[in-house]
Order: sequence, then structure tokens, then C-alpha cells
Amino acid sequence: MQQVLDTLNQTIPLEGYLVVAAMMFAIGAWGALIRRNAVVVFMCVELMINAVNLTLVAFADYLPQAGGTGAGYAVIIIAIAAAEVAVGLAIVLAVFRSRRTVNVDEINIMKG
Amino acid sequence: MPVTPETFVALIPELVALGFLVLVLLLGVFVPRSAAVPAALAALGSLAVFGSAVVLLAAGFSGEFFGGAFVVDGFALYFKLVVSASAFFTVLAAARWSGGTGDAPEYMTLILSVVAGSILLVSMRDLFGIFLAIELATIPSYAMVAFDRSRRESSEGGMKYLITGVIASSVLLYGIVLIYGVSGSAQLSEVAQAFSEGLSPVALLGLVLLVSGFAFKVSAAPFHFWTPDAYQGAPTSAAAFLSVAPKAATFAVLLRILLEGMPEAAPAWTAVMAFIAILTMFVGNLFALRQRNVRRMLAYSSVAHSGYILAAFAALQGPALSTGVQAVMIYSAAYAVMNLGAFFVIDLVGDDGKSYNGLLKTRPGIALSMGVFMAALVGLPPLSGFFGKLYVILAGAQSGSVLVYVVVGAVVVNSVLSVPYYFGIVRNMFFEEPGGGEPGVSGSGALRFSVYALAVATALFFLVMGPLAALVSGAGLV
Repeated sequence: MQQVLDTLNQTIPLEGYLVVAAMMFAIGAWGALIRRNAVVVFMCVELMINAVNLTLVAFADYLPQAGGTGAGYAVIIIAIAAAEVAVGLAIVLAVFRSRRTVNVDEINIMKG
Repeated sequence: MPVTPETFVALIPELVALGFLVLVLLLGVFVPRSAAVPAALAALGSLAVFGSAVVLLAAGFSGEFFGGAFVVDGFALYFKLVVSASAFFTVLAAARWSGGTGDAPEYMTLILSVVAGSILLVSMRDLFGIFLAIELATIPSYAMVAFDRSRRESSEGGMKYLITGVIASSVLLYGIVLIYGVSGSAQLSEVAQAFSEGLSPVALLGLVLLVSGFAFKVSAAPFHFWTPDAYQGAPTSAAAFLSVAPKAATFAVLLRILLEGMPEAAPAWTAVMAFIAILTMFVGNLFALRQRNVRRMLAYSSVAHSGYILAAFAALQGPALSTGVQAVMIYSAAYAVMNLGAFFVIDLVGDDGKSYNGLLKTRPGIALSMGVFMAALVGLPPLSGFFGKLYVILAGAQSGSVLVYVVVGAVVVNSVLSVPYYFGIVRNMFFEEPGGGEPGVSGSGALRFSVYALAVATALFFLVMGPLAALVSGAGLV
């Protein structure tokens, strides 16, 4: 029991955060490439951006020379991601109005 | 870092742009049905930004602000001039069209927002500030591409641009965060220190992700695939503006990151730039040869021209360093005048190649202007495009690296490859009989004025080359 508590009390190393974030980024990128519904693609992109944010916050917390400034940047990045999605959903809505689908495979009148 | 009155002087171009942005946006509430007033105000705003940058440049103003994150130097001010001048002609060209959509204030607001992001971008010296400024320029450009609700291509192009754009943004951001993690700071000067101790694997991964993100933003191969769809779908004025102003600003800031942030890693990134440049030139020109739609052809041509500018990046080594920087600056201005003009002619004539048949007989002024733009895009002397390519080739010749000589060879080969598709339009205009294709529109006076003014600027570019060369050689980063 004491052994379990000791393990739990250890700080998580920086690598732990970085690996989880890299996996999140990879899953998001994979989803963005294979999913066909534009709204789901946006959700995958959000996963990618949040993975980057996790990396950023972990660096800011663990690096002595960073002085914690990275956390401030993380807030700005969250705001940028929200702005991207606001414009993105408006464009998806415009596409849906003109052709009743948001499937990215069927939106293909321009080629070459 | 105290905020002194000098800080506000340094921020004048940005503050002017943001002030006019808010003014034009609010105008939409109080003067809802007007098209002329927002366009006039936006044109005035672009001129004011141009004027304030000229004053700062003439006064020799320079300095670092906000703890070194924001810098004003000749290099930044030069690109502010390019961006605001392009915005001025775009506003003139878009005035009547945006009035027809009924949303003129919104369209002008988007243009001014891209201007604000681009002029902020060229002054940034902090990686997160750079990302913020890039997004300030990019997010409105998605909306500009999708703005034309009367054409289904517009929203389709906007959606393709948006999805690829947000993925590229997150890749770019991942690169920035990894570089921040390695160096412990986002300031370019401190990044340079971290990179001077040799490339760690994480730093290299960050550099690769960063360059990939930027390659997307400047539509370099293999990340160019959004370009033809976005520019074909976009309103013509939006395609013209986006292929010139934000792209020039992005090249400028990429130059700043590479030269100020990682000069020690130059052997790595010049080699990467050389391969990207060769690939981009060939992809752009070979695909442009196959196009029947003039607008799509010009989109691929803009990919090819990104390749020519990237060739100057590959030459940024050894004795060619300062010539390489000057080549990027000269090429951006030269490309702005000829490419804006060529896109605006499409607005007047149409995007079907047959529409250009016999244009010399029916509309000689427009035909001659288009002839000038096409010859300049090929790079014939003494038109503007020639001087851009001349500087790129000079920089390559001075670099003393075999790989760069290969890149310069590819620039020459590609200039020859591009002759058929540019001169196909010239042949249609000068030697075919009128008829076929849809009839063009006479266009507003402001649009025709932009075309003629840009044609004169392209044809007489050699007259300003002397002062321009003096300006860029004094204002270069190195």
C-alpha cells in the first residue's frame, strides 16, 4: 500500500506529458485525414491544437528558464482556435446551404 | 519594458490600420446600403498606412519594443509599403463588386484585417507573436475566399482552404512550441543561442514542422494543393490580394526567423529550401501548362513564383547572403505589381481562355496591359519580373554552392517552361479573331484605373529600380 502511495506521489516527468501530447496530435491528424464529415474534421483539428497546448503548458511548467510565460501564450492560442472554428463553421454552413451536404468527398466541382 | 511615447510612434502603421478597420466595420451599421463610402474609407486607410510607413522610413526610425518582441527596421517598413500599396489597388478593384454583394463594409473590413495582420507580421521577432500575426492575416482570408455567395465554387474553395489551413496552422504551432521547449524562450535572439549549440533531434523536428507550416502558407510544393481551388473559387480581387500581400509578409517573416533565429543551422535549411524551390517551380509550371481556365492558370503560376522566391532562400549562404535578402525584397515588389494587374484583367474579361480572342481589336487598352503583365510574369526585360529573377540568379551565382547552381538552372529552365501558357493568352489577344467565350464587362472606372496604373508600374519598373535597389541594400537584414 505504501509503495502505491509513493508511486502516486512522484511527480510526472516532462516526457510523460510530451508523449501523451504527441499521441493526441497524431490521433487528431489521422482523424483529420480520414474523416469525411467537415464538422468531425474540425473536431480533429481541435484535438491537434489542444495537444500542442498541452505540450506548451508542460514546457512552461517544467523549464526553469521559461519563467512560466508559456501559460500566457496558451490562453492566446485557445482564443485563436476559437476564432478559427467560428469562421470555419460559418463556411461549413455556407457550403451546406448551397449543396445540402458537408461531406468533403462530395464537394468537388473544381478539379485539375 | 516601459511603454514610451516612442512605442506608439513605432506602432503607427498598425494603429492606423486597426483604426480604419473599426471605422469601416461600424460604417456598415450606420450607412447600411452604401458601397462607395466604405470603399473610399478603406482606400484612404491603405494610403494612410502607406504614408505612415513612408514617413517612418524617411525619418530613419528604427528600434526594438515590447522587450524585443516587436521591431521596426528598414526591412519591416519596406514590406509594410508593399502590403499597403497592394491593399490600395485591391480596394479600388473590389469597390463596385463588393457593393453588388450588398456587404461592402464587411469585405473591406476583411481586407483591412489582412493588412493589419501582414504589417504586424513583418515586425514580429517573437515566435508566438509571429503565430498570432499569421492567424490575424489568415483567418479573414478564409472568409474572403468564401465571400462570393452567388458562385458555388467560392464556398467550396473557402472550405478546402480552411480545412488545409487550420491543419497547417496547428503543424506550424507544434513546430514553434517544440523550438520554444528547446530554447526556453520564443525570442528569436535566444532561439539563435539554443540553435548555436548544435541541432538536437527535438530542435530538428521543430524546424521541420515550422518549415512545413510556412511552406503551406506560401503555397510551396508539396503543400500547394489548396492554392488552385482557393484562388479559382475566390472573388478575383481576393485571389489577387491573397496571392501577393500576405504571401510577401510570410516570406519576409520566414526570412527573419531563419536568419535571426537559426543562422547556425543554415546548412540544414538552405538544403531543404533548395529542394522545396525546385519542386515548387516544376509543379507550378507543369500544372499551369495544362489549364484552360485563366484564373486557375494564374493560381498555378503563383505557385511557380513562390518557387522562384524560395530559390533566393536557398542562396542565403556565404557571400550571397545580402544579395539573397535583396532578391526576396525586390521580387516581392515586382511580383505584386504584375500579379495584381493580371488578376484584375480577369475581372474585366473573364476566366475562359476564349474570352481573350481578338481583345486587341475590341479593347486595345486592356489587351496591351494584359500583354505587359504576361511578358513580365515570363520575366522579359525591362519589365518588373525580369529584375526579380535577375536578383535571384545573381544571388545564386554568388553563393558558391553546387546545389544552388542547380536551383538557378531550374529557375532558367522554368522561365522557359512558363512561356507557352503566358503567351497562349497573348496569342489569343493579338492574333485570333474576336468572338467565342463570354463577353467581358466594362468594369468600374476604379478597376480600369488599377489595371492601367499597374501596367504602367510593371512596364516602367526599371525607372524605380535605382532608388529601390538603394533602399533594399540599406534596409536588408544583414
